[in-house]
Amino acid sequence: MTGEVLRILLLVMQLAFLGILYLILLNFARSLLRDLRNAEEAQQASRAGIGRLTVLESPEDEPPAGRPIALGPINSIGRNVNNTIFVEDDFVSANHAMLTFRGRSWFIEDQGSTNGTYVNGHRIDRPVALSFGDELTIGRVRMRLER
Amino acid sequence: MIATNVRRLSLYLVLSFAIVSGGLSWWQVIDAPALDARQDNPEVIAARRSQPRGSIFDARGQLLGSSRVVDGISRRTYTDPAFAHAIGYASLRFGTSGLERAWDDILTGRTDPNPLNDIVNDVLDRRPTPRDLTLTLDQRLQDFAAAQLGADAGAVVALDPRTGAILAMTSTPTFDATPISGDPDEAAQPMERIQDQPGNPLVDRSRQGHYTPGSIMKVLTAAAALDGGAITPRTTFRDQPRQETEGFVVEGFRVREHDLSPVTPALWPLSEALQVSSNIFFAHVGLEVGVDAYLEYARRFGFCAPLEIGQTTRVLSVAASFVTAPQDGDCSPFQDRAELAQAAFGQGRVAVTPVQMALLAATVANDGVRPVLYLVRDVRVHAARPASGPSEAVLETYDPAGGERVIGSQAAADVRRAMVDAVQGPLGRLYAGAGAVTNYGISGVATAGKTGTAELGPNVAPHSWFIGFAPADATGTPAIAVAVIVESGGSGSGRAAPIGGAVMAEWLRLQGS
Amino acid sequence: MLLPLLLLVPLGYAITHMAVAGTTEVGPMQTAAVYIVLMLAAHFGLVAAGQRGDMLLLPLVATIGGIGLIMLNRLAPDVATTSAFGLNLDIAATQVMWFGVGVIAMLAVAIGLRDDRILRHYKYTWALAGIGLLVFTFMFGTEVNGARLWLYLGPVGFQPGEFLKIVLVVFIAGYLAEHRALLRDAVWRVGPIRIPPLPYLLPMLAIFAIVMLVVIFGKDLGTALLFFGIFLTMLFVATGRRSYVLIGLILFVAGAFVASRLFDHVARRMDAWIDPFADPSGAGYQTVQSLYAFGRGGLFGEGLGRSLLPNAGGGFFGVETDFVFAVVGEELGLVGAFALLALVLALVFRGLRVAILARDDFSAMLAVGLTTSVGLQTLIISAGILKVIPLTGITFPFVSYGGSSLLSSFIVVGLLLAISHRSAVATAAETVGPGEPDR
Repeated sequence: MTGEVLRILLLVMQLAFLGILYLILLNFARSLLRDLRNAEEAQQASRAGIGRLTVLESPEDEPPAGRPIALGPINSIGRNVNNTIFVEDDFVSANHAMLTFRGRSWFIEDQGSTNGTYVNGHRIDRPVALSFGDELTIGRVRMRLER
Repeated sequence: MIATNVRRLSLYLVLSFAIVSGGLSWWQVIDAPALDARQDNPEVIAARRSQPRGSIFDARGQLLGSSRVVDGISRRTYTDPAFAHAIGYASLRFGTSGLERAWDDILTGRTDPNPLNDIVNDVLDRRPTPRDLTLTLDQRLQDFAAAQLGADAGAVVALDPRTGAILAMTSTPTFDATPISGDPDEAAQPMERIQDQPGNPLVDRSRQGHYTPGSIMKVLTAAAALDGGAITPRTTFRDQPRQETEGFVVEGFRVREHDLSPVTPALWPLSEALQVSSNIFFAHVGLEVGVDAYLEYARRFGFCAPLEIGQTTRVLSVAASFVTAPQDGDCSPFQDRAELAQAAFGQGRVAVTPVQMALLAATVANDGVRPVLYLVRDVRVHAARPASGPSEAVLETYDPAGGERVIGSQAAADVRRAMVDAVQGPLGRLYAGAGAVTNYGISGVATAGKTGTAELGPNVAPHSWFIGFAPADATGTPAIAVAVIVESGGSGSGRAAPIGGAVMAEWLRLQGS
Repeated sequence: MLLPLLLLVPLGYAITHMAVAGTTEVGPMQTAAVYIVLMLAAHFGLVAAGQRGDMLLLPLVATIGGIGLIMLNRLAPDVATTSAFGLNLDIAATQVMWFGVGVIAMLAVAIGLRDDRILRHYKYTWALAGIGLLVFTFMFGTEVNGARLWLYLGPVGFQPGEFLKIVLVVFIAGYLAEHRALLRDAVWRVGPIRIPPLPYLLPMLAIFAIVMLVVIFGKDLGTALLFFGIFLTMLFVATGRRSYVLIGLILFVAGAFVASRLFDHVARRMDAWIDPFADPSGAGYQTVQSLYAFGRGGLFGEGLGRSLLPNAGGGFFGVETDFVFAVVGEELGLVGAFALLALVLALVFRGLRVAILARDDFSAMLAVGLTTSVGLQTLIISAGILKVIPLTGITFPFVSYGGSSLLSSFIVVGLLLAISHRSAVATAAETVGPGEPDR
């Protein structure tokens, strides 16, 4: 008879175990849904931007290192202050490069600069399509294209 | 871009997990009962090993099989090898067969008549309570039939035509199921010995034997023709006597008569034609019925599909009998009229089981109503001491009433009369072993029957067949119908008919006493 | 989110011990305690180190691993103990030890990997090193169950295939991030048919083909299927082209068909898949026995500790590794097995969220690949055991017994944490940064 009492006890414990398992699952599901909503909102807020440049290295600190630069569809880069992205560096030409968003991709084109434009360490000689995460080097300034 | 594709990917992954969950639900819930019941399931094996198992008694409470748990192993003992096929075996090594298999859940108590108890037992890990079975088989008749077959290979099936209860169902050669149903580690050798014996003792000839029926098939042909109006008891065929000497050509195939001497062919109607067992006459009758109607009647009598002994889920299955070549478990249509002409007198592609032929005889005997076959009479509380008889507490009784009308009363009566003549008529006495059937002591009781001699080819002794029923007086329904086959037993009148007569006589004697 | 484990794992241990021993004592709890302490320590370790990665990943993994540990603790007396470092450990203790190693690796990767350049800039080196390791295993490894997957360094054996998985994902992510635009937009036209630009795919296909060949000749079909699945998934995410996946799947099915004609061991697997009950004591034995286990489990399970699979007539192998999901199904029923699948799916969702929030393509592709590896591995083994697809041996992540599998799975989590940490930091810089950036 004690065997049967034990069986009932084990049955109750087993159901409790499954119950706890589902409570845990429910808890995870709630967090998942909440974060999904937050992510939607965050994305809607940032949808206006089509990309940005994060400055990784900037010897003259103009633009300041570690700060993201929001990008429009057409961005000129150079030492001339009239450029969309003004870069303070002796190794950068006045009108150095053009960074443009065409259709679905970003493109970079060198504007005949003296020291050239580098993508992931390779010097470019024609317009090149960029992926998010690619590294641009203009003079001594290193920047990364991000979403 | 990537974000969009990742969202699409997550959708595909959810779909894949849903499919796997579907598989999970299938095996764990939908198909689980089937999996749980399979014999090589470790749970079934483990449970079986130490599980007490219900006893099996004959119709009069004689013990046929019982189990004892010794050293944690459930060992089963059978008292009578004549029942080895009908009851089967319950081996821890080789699984179950026969009734032991069909009624396994009741014998082990795995399924309780009350489903609520099943759940409680399962939760509490309670050992299921075994239950006992009482059969419709009578040990006295079963043993008598087995003794009649003797050393020959063959089968005897005896039914009560009024109820469908099976009174005897035996197959020879038989075997002792006790040694293979004990300790699983010691079961292999006895099993090998059984398998090495000549004549395949493990095969249940009554349910699984497929035989050419020969002339006993003429009973079905006559029943179909009379019921459908294709012939009357007085119908004759104009060219019949001439064809009986020269042969009857159907679509290029020449139907030949067997040796009719000492009688001379004449313009015989049904009764005489059945008495002399004229092939030509029944070829004509079959053709009158037609290819479609003949197959339809065969189906009504139970051909072309497996027969079931018992009802609902616990059935003992009987191999399907065929009139034509089997096709996906069903009879294919007749290829031509020549095939029908041969089938009508029991040759060609006809292949039948003894149970089916006993059912044919029983249906004719039972006024054209096909009874529902059954073998288990009731389920009882497990008797603590099986040797001293079954418990009085009956849990469930099986008595399948009714049955299905296959042919009309008048047609059934006409066939009955012809079958009485085939045994007792002036011509029939010449063929049915010179009255051998009636000589077995059924004094004052009319007997009906038909012999069959299944020709298997030159230089091979034919199978000997008999179907019949008694008493076949004009009043009252017969109390017993039989089918007998003796493999390579020669002519039907020589071997099977005397056995059939003896079995029927013995049953009537037992009933009378 | 880790706190429910304090209840779940000891309760599971208690039920198991009570059911097995038939007493009301709850039995030893050392391994459960060590496991919980380990997971809590890992959590606080991440917080203390300023790791701001996804906060749900570790609790999910800890819950899945906890269920696995309960299963292994049950199996411990039935499966031989291992001895390592002079200690005799049963398999639950060994598994907890590997959980420890895994957690340390995860912390090292999550905290140490501040910059992903070591991964992306040396992708070819990584790929070659991985393949070298695999070829080495193929030549000098130890054969277990007909497949040569193990490499022994003294007493400790490990499966290089588990780590090659990560290396492969890193390589493919690096390559695809670099050439994504081209693969997506460039098209070769042959008459009216548009086909992908093959030259851009070739380097990757070549390396991939080498991996597949080595894996197939090492007879590890499960890993081959997993690699192929990861590859196709990443290609799809990078390009958005369903045609790649479709072509890949057709190639795979055709390949499987040809392989079943050429190799006996593949043909046997196929036969056992189509009808395992045709040979229930031979080729179909493993499948049939695990299906029986699922059947016995039913809706709510036989109860923890009551699986019959470990002693299903003796010949059953892999109950603690590849077939552990069948034990889950038997002991916890449909309800429990479904919960386990749902937990893995939640983990996969979390991983894909890391990919979506990633700031650059390489990180996104990496997160997708790593997450897919966990998700597909679970799908392949559970669908295989359930006869939905042909059965190929592979471990159930975080649940199956095995050091290599656990360690590589924890490295995957570490990488996901590192990636999500970087995007979290970048987002924070954006929102709390000093004013609008310059135009």
